[in-house]
Amino acid sequence: MSGDPLVRVEGLYKRYPGVLAVNGASFDIPPGEIVGLVGKNGAGKSTVIKILAGAVAPDDGEIRVDGQLVTVPDPRHAQALGFAFMHQELEQIPLMTVAENVMLGSKMPRRMGALVNWSTMYEQAQEVLKDLDPSIDPRALIDHLSIAQKRVIMIARALLARARLVVLDEPTTSITDEEIKHLHGICRQIKQRGGSVLYVSHRLEEILSLTDRVVVMRDGEVELTALTADTDRSRLITAITGKSSGATASERRRARNVGGRPDGPEILRADKLESADVRDVSFDLRAGEILGIGGLVGAGRTELVKLIYGADPRIGGEVFVDGKAVDTSTPPKALQAGIVLLPEDRRYEGMVLDFNLRENVTLASLPGFCRAHSPFPSKSRERSAARDMVERLSIRTSSVEQPVRFLSGGNQQKVVLGKWLQRGAKVFIFDEPTAGIDVEAKEEIYRLVEDLASQGKGIIFISSEFSEMVAVCNRVIVMQEGRLVGELDGDEATELAIVELCYGHRELTAA
Amino acid sequence: MAETVTAHEQTDGADQAAHESARAARNARRQEFLAKYGVLIALVVSIVVFSALKPHVFPTVSNLQAIVEQFSPLAIIAFGLTVVLVMGDFDLSVAGMIGLSSAVVVSLMSVNHLGFLLAILIGILVGMAGGAVSGGLVAFAGASSFIITLAMGQVYNGLEYQITNQETIFSGIPKAYANIATGSFLGLSNQFFIMLFVLLVLYLLLEQSTIGRYMYALGGNQEAARLSGIRVRELRTAGFMIIGVCSVIAGVLISSQNDSQSPNSGAPFFLPAFAAVFLGSAVLRPGKFNVLGTLVGAFFLEVISTGLTELSLSTSVILIVQGVILAGAVLLSRIGRKAA
Repeated sequence: MSGDPLVRVEGLYKRYPGVLAVNGASFDIPPGEIVGLVGKNGAGKSTVIKILAGAVAPDDGEIRVDGQLVTVPDPRHAQALGFAFMHQELEQIPLMTVAENVMLGSKMPRRMGALVNWSTMYEQAQEVLKDLDPSIDPRALIDHLSIAQKRVIMIARALLARARLVVLDEPTTSITDEEIKHLHGICRQIKQRGGSVLYVSHRLEEILSLTDRVVVMRDGEVELTALTADTDRSRLITAITGKSSGATASERRRARNVGGRPDGPEILRADKLESADVRDVSFDLRAGEILGIGGLVGAGRTELVKLIYGADPRIGGEVFVDGKAVDTSTPPKALQAGIVLLPEDRRYEGMVLDFNLRENVTLASLPGFCRAHSPFPSKSRERSAARDMVERLSIRTSSVEQPVRFLSGGNQQKVVLGKWLQRGAKVFIFDEPTAGIDVEAKEEIYRLVEDLASQGKGIIFISSEFSEMVAVCNRVIVMQEGRLVGELDGDEATELAIVELCYGHRELTAA
Repeated sequence: MAETVTAHEQTDGADQAAHESARAARNARRQEFLAKYGVLIALVVSIVVFSALKPHVFPTVSNLQAIVEQFSPLAIIAFGLTVVLVMGDFDLSVAGMIGLSSAVVVSLMSVNHLGFLLAILIGILVGMAGGAVSGGLVAFAGASSFIITLAMGQVYNGLEYQITNQETIFSGIPKAYANIATGSFLGLSNQFFIMLFVLLVLYLLLEQSTIGRYMYALGGNQEAARLSGIRVRELRTAGFMIIGVCSVIAGVLISSQNDSQSPNSGAPFFLPAFAAVFLGSAVLRPGKFNVLGTLVGAFFLEVISTGLTELSLSTSVILIVQGVILAGAVLLSRIGRKAA
């Protein structure tokens, strides 16, 4: 078995109704290596992973482990083969403790045959977590952890189950740079213990710095497999997109000619907003302005915009649109006032997965498709609006009647965007609009945001990738622990300045 | 091996891929067909079997008339249940509401000597009020619909007994009231036309109106629906009021048909109504609750129970067969979910 890769996939092939997801993909994962898997949304990465996980049956192709042909009919088999998965959507049981979640999938320590031995369980969990993130208390409830910590829990679970291959699907979306570094350290630990990692990411920097080997997929096919040392950013981009590109955030900012605040009238003002997670936040937004909100995960950015949109209960403060106080205590009222929110989690907050593309796009503007005084929307009008949206946002789909379940992540995000564009508003709030989206789609979303601003809309843009905020926003305000801690206008808004504000205040209070 | 650029697999690879794709597509089509038409095929098969076994009894006009008359109240309850199930809620209080509302209506006529139209109107108000209470507790107070409607069903039962003393009411029911269910038009029972009317209203509501779209949306993803500006709590409450009214209509038809009100008259309808909705979710739009499917489901159940009764089988056998059919339907609708 020497010389055999840990995992070899050969000629994987999978078709969904209307979409050829994977078209003859082959690649190797050698033991003790970190293999990066990159490609645009819809390139077939997620499907390959689902096949390895036993969640999806391939129409054709082989999987070999240590040279032996295997089949993975269900997730139990994947586990028995030593595969562990951290999917984009975290699968954890919220009301259980850290230790219970870590131990899921491995044998619980027993006492008197049938009872769970809790103290041993906490010890074992502690043992694994010690190396990964000693700050996590095994007795804490999963609900109280940050996203990054939850991901660490998933990895701990994999390690404890003695996984030989850990698959991480976009582990660094919506977590901070520091947490990313920590996660990379964990990946290297797995490698040192002889395990392999399959690492899926859209961030080419981390692929280049972390992995030993890269596999690039495009349109369901493996476009390139190479040793990371033999490749570079521009070659990867060429393989991913089929075109060459690559500019840094500040170059992009200059190229786009993003200046400081525009001179437009005030379109939105928040005055002393307060909720359980937001403390006394006031700011204003001008027509045509793109305002970034920076901060670490958990700083209260999502909570702030949900508060403005009426999705979370408010304790105090007021919201003004066009200078007039408006009631935004519920989402329908906020919509009435001209505010829309593209939520952070498209799968659980943005889309109806059972609906097709048309039904999702028209969901927030359905009465507009009814003929006068009729309660019945016209499907043909809906269809033509949905077709326009598919064209405008270059959504990749076989038809507007395609269930969104079968679209890739980036295309799903565009559908949610399309829903709000169809509805229209004065103020658009985008919460992590580019999370888990490929390079090309990101550019399209930036362009769209800038278009809206040039039409005189007010834009609030939240992103954990500060470089894109720098590239897109006129002004950035920074939050920490529910409060506003700073404001960076125009060219003051650099990545470094944002990071300093995110951490700065905390150091001050600690000193 | 510095790097291997996999050139697009040449011709034979492409051929094989095309072949594979054709096979996969055929498989998917077969599954989809089975999911969509499985229940309809089973319905046709059972009609053929019953007709062959009882050629002089089953395939007759009078038998069809009987089936149509008997399945109407069942279908009406099942339509109402479809609405709440679409939104991901349960209503276990239907049997209780059928009993309570028919007790209210019948005793208003028999004891209080109200006209039958006024009595029915009050009955419908009772159904709406009950639905509003369940809906309010579930949608606004956030209680589980399972528990709340189970409890409400108990309350309805108690109220019914309070009104009737658990006795059957025969006397003082106007002729006009009995005529509602027993009368006929164009050779078909009035009940059938009332059922069609309810079907039409709920079909337009669920399948064609904005409200129906919102209901399906919130059943699919409640948080996404809420953040899209849909009034989730109001719609869920409305769903409970709709099933409340449907239960009242069924209660009126049942007591009118019997020309009396007997205790617990809703109980026999409870399970078949759920069965009809789940059977229906395996028809036409696989994996989705829909009223046209529910119609087929209710009809199918009635055909089976009539057919089995005419074969002189015992109630116990009929119950077992019905249970097996329900389990089979749920399996079929799972295939539908995979294929869709």
